[in-house]
Amino acid sequence: MTEREKVGSGGDLDRALADLRALSGDISSCAVLSADGGLLSTSHGDGVDRERAAAMLAAAANLAERAARREGKQHASQLRVDADNGHLLLVRLEGGGTLAATAGKDARVGLVLYDMRNARAEIAGAVSAGGAS
Amino acid sequence: MKKLLGRLVILGAIVGGAVAVGGYLRGGAAGAKDVVQVTFDDGSTRAFASNTPEGEEFTDIARKLVEMGL
Repeated sequence: MTEREKVGSGGDLDRALADLRALSGDISSCAVLSADGGLLSTSHGDGVDRERAAAMLAAAANLAERAARREGKQHASQLRVDADNGHLLLVRLEGGGTLAATAGKDARVGLVLYDMRNARAEIAGAVSAGGAS
Repeated sequence: MKKLLGRLVILGAIVGGAVAVGGYLRGGAAGAKDVVQVTFDDGSTRAFASNTPEGEEFTDIARKLVEMGL
C-alpha cells in the first residue's frame, strides 16, 4: 500500500486527529507516522504534497532518534523545533509511531505539547487497532 | 604636535568602533538561542542552538513543514 492510499482511510485515527485539533486550536496541521515512517493519517486538506511531507517528517523523527542514540538514550519521546515561521512538534507513540503537529509562530507551544501527550494513548490505540489499515 | 594628537584620537575612535562592532557581531553568533529541544524517554533533554549543524538540520525541515503543512 502506498502512503497516499493509507491517508484518510483510517476512521478512528482521523477522528482522533480531528479531536486533537478541536482541543488545541493552536495546531495548524497534524499527522501520524507509522514506526516505519509511512504516513498513516493527516489533518491537512488537498493540495499538499503528502509524500514529501511524510518523508520530511520521517527525517525529523530519524534525526531525533539519532540524537537519542548519541546521548546513550533509547528513544526521543518528544521534539520541539522553533523555526522562524512557526513550530514543529513531534511526540513518539507507543510502538514507535510519531504524532506530529505544526503550529504558528505565536502558538502556546507548551499547551499544544500537553494536548499532544494527552492524545497519545488514543492515537496509539487507533493505530494498533488498525485504524489506518 | 596638537594636530598629531588630534589625528591619534580620531584613529583611536575608529579602531575602537571597529572592535566594538566586531565584538557585537561575534556576540550575536555566540549567543544564538536554542531552537531545538529533544526530550528523551528518561525525561532528560538536549537542546541544539540555531548555529549548530544539528540545529540547522532540524530547523530547515521544520521551516518547510510549517510552510507546507502536514
